[in-house]
Amino acid sequence: MSASLVMQAILSGITNGFVYALIGIGLAVIFKGTQIINAMQGEFAVIGAMVTVFALEPAGLPYGLSILLGVISGAAAGVIIDRLFVQPMMRQRAGEESFLLLTIGLAVTLSAAVLYLAGRNSYLLPSWGEEGVIEILDAFLQIQALWLIGTAIIVVVGLRLFYGRTLLGLSMMAASMDPDGAATNGINVRRMRSLTFLLGGTIGAIAGILVAPLVAVNYHMGIALTLKGFAAAILGGLSNPLGAVLGGVTLGLLESLAVVGFPSGYKDVIALAMMIVIMIVMPNGLLGRVGRIGG
Amino acid sequence: MALQACRSLIALAPTALLSLYPLPALAQTTASREPIKLGAVISATGAIAGVGLPEREGILLAQKTLNARGGVNGQPIEILIEDDASSPDVAVSKVNALVHSHKVKALIGTSGIAQTVAVGGITAPLKLTQIAFSGLGPAVERERTCVFHITPSQELNARALLSYVRDMKASKVGVLHDSGYGQVVWNSMKDLAGEFGVTWSQVEKFEIAATDLTTQAAKVRASAPEAVIVISTSPMPFRNARQVRLTAPIISVHGTATYDYVKAMGDAADNIIHAEFLIAEDPLPHQREFVDLFQKEHGRLPKHFEAAGWDAVMSLAQALKTAGPDAANEALCSAMRRPYQGVMAKFDFSAPDMGGLTLASFNYSKLVKGKFTRLDYSAAK
Repeated sequence: MSASLVMQAILSGITNGFVYALIGIGLAVIFKGTQIINAMQGEFAVIGAMVTVFALEPAGLPYGLSILLGVISGAAAGVIIDRLFVQPMMRQRAGEESFLLLTIGLAVTLSAAVLYLAGRNSYLLPSWGEEGVIEILDAFLQIQALWLIGTAIIVVVGLRLFYGRTLLGLSMMAASMDPDGAATNGINVRRMRSLTFLLGGTIGAIAGILVAPLVAVNYHMGIALTLKGFAAAILGGLSNPLGAVLGGVTLGLLESLAVVGFPSGYKDVIALAMMIVIMIVMPNGLLGRVGRIGG
Repeated sequence: MALQACRSLIALAPTALLSLYPLPALAQTTASREPIKLGAVISATGAIAGVGLPEREGILLAQKTLNARGGVNGQPIEILIEDDASSPDVAVSKVNALVHSHKVKALIGTSGIAQTVAVGGITAPLKLTQIAFSGLGPAVERERTCVFHITPSQELNARALLSYVRDMKASKVGVLHDSGYGQVVWNSMKDLAGEFGVTWSQVEKFEIAATDLTTQAAKVRASAPEAVIVISTSPMPFRNARQVRLTAPIISVHGTATYDYVKAMGDAADNIIHAEFLIAEDPLPHQREFVDLFQKEHGRLPKHFEAAGWDAVMSLAQALKTAGPDAANEALCSAMRRPYQGVMAKFDFSAPDMGGLTLASFNYSKLVKGKFTRLDYSAAK
């Protein structure tokens, strides 16, 4: 086992980890604001990436504007789903399991819609900055991965400030934790939930747009992204965006380092076994009770 | 949508014009006779839609061409196409409906091994002719002699790759394979090393949906291979192999020799060698007509999955011509058991694997700036 191989595993694990983290952050935001486990978070990423791809190439828009359209499309998808599906079910006082089923169904439906509209092809976006890789101890990291990591950190810090320092963020948390109490204090609970889905859709789309230069996006990658993001969010504490980052990077590193020490066929067994151990030792996630409460 | 509507109108215009004129006698006969109903089950959605959708394009083009040429002995064919969503369970229910409700004369498909094995349980006892897009799979399929296979078995795929590796004088070979299709081919390949005089320097597996597998690629690079075989339905291993500066020649299976994958590979596609069937940029004489027809219909070049759809319909039509459209199941199945020159390759449906593809069926290409260029190499020695 050479030092360069270990370094490559670490860099690969961090890259994968931040992909999982960005999906996990979106999941955490929606769970934090609505107590709904959103099984279609990966589809927001696919929508954001696909809209950017089509705005860039056939439409010929500048890359910056295409990215903006991609982000707006994710946000819009979040709001539409809230208005058309979540709110009517909320009014019927549907349970957690009903919302989980709803989002699973929407994930499959959106995947089919993307197949219909965008076809079966896989699409790559250009790198955000310079193309290529940087070499560290004979190991390689794509420059795009640095953008991914940097943006994830900015998103987490921004969310922390938003939920802790702004009236809107505090209102969204209040609407989630005690809807009746929040309504008594003049908070429009329904609007706060819509804004939560808007935020979740926005973060999902950003994730997709950041991932698309690394991995070719296609109609069926949403569910795979959701599963990894879900594991990251659970590992970190489901309602904490920072926890999703810690969970994502932990999962990415476990998977990647497992490949170094063992035959790669056992990668998932080892990574998931380690996750089970972590969850037994820390049942509230890596951030403990703080992670559950959120931050 | 408006664009699609315009295209539909433009497509219908010649038909409308033609209806104003007397049609040739053969076409009149064809139109007036009851069509021969055939069933097709392909994976148009789900995990292997990337395979099923081009197969459907080939089927539709063959149906259109065949009927325009007078159908089968003057009788048109009608192909009822169903989507199994890449699921064996769905495939079984669709085939049941086609066979028992629609009374189809034969079945085309399915796209995947699991689905073919599952629906073979319905078609085999009835001796209903089935032309599957998967190669011969588990042992049970050897007894299903009316289930014909239009793509190679995984062992033949493995041999096609190893033949090239052997003949390029590489003895240390690295392998990167995914956990789905790649695992299936690898299972057939791993025991062939001695026969082809190679040793496995490093074998690495990854998930189909992996977002970064540079660690696996780095492990393969560290083993100093003279050639690397990549077996996957994902473009990621090719990109990651190049990112970690793995410079050994990369040889891959026909599954990734499609324009979709090449686009997704980006610059990493250059110099990848494929053991495949249809190099549409430089087609063989028996492939040219199909390539031209497809390009005229779709404005782009086809690959082997589209050709497989075409070959399935055309080979079945030939058997129907021989046995007659009212032939019993067993008679049609028997009429299928003969050599057939297809677009993909020359088949021999009387062979023990019900397909008859050999190493000579493969063509080899190298990717140069996103285009497949023919290599002057044949695995058949």
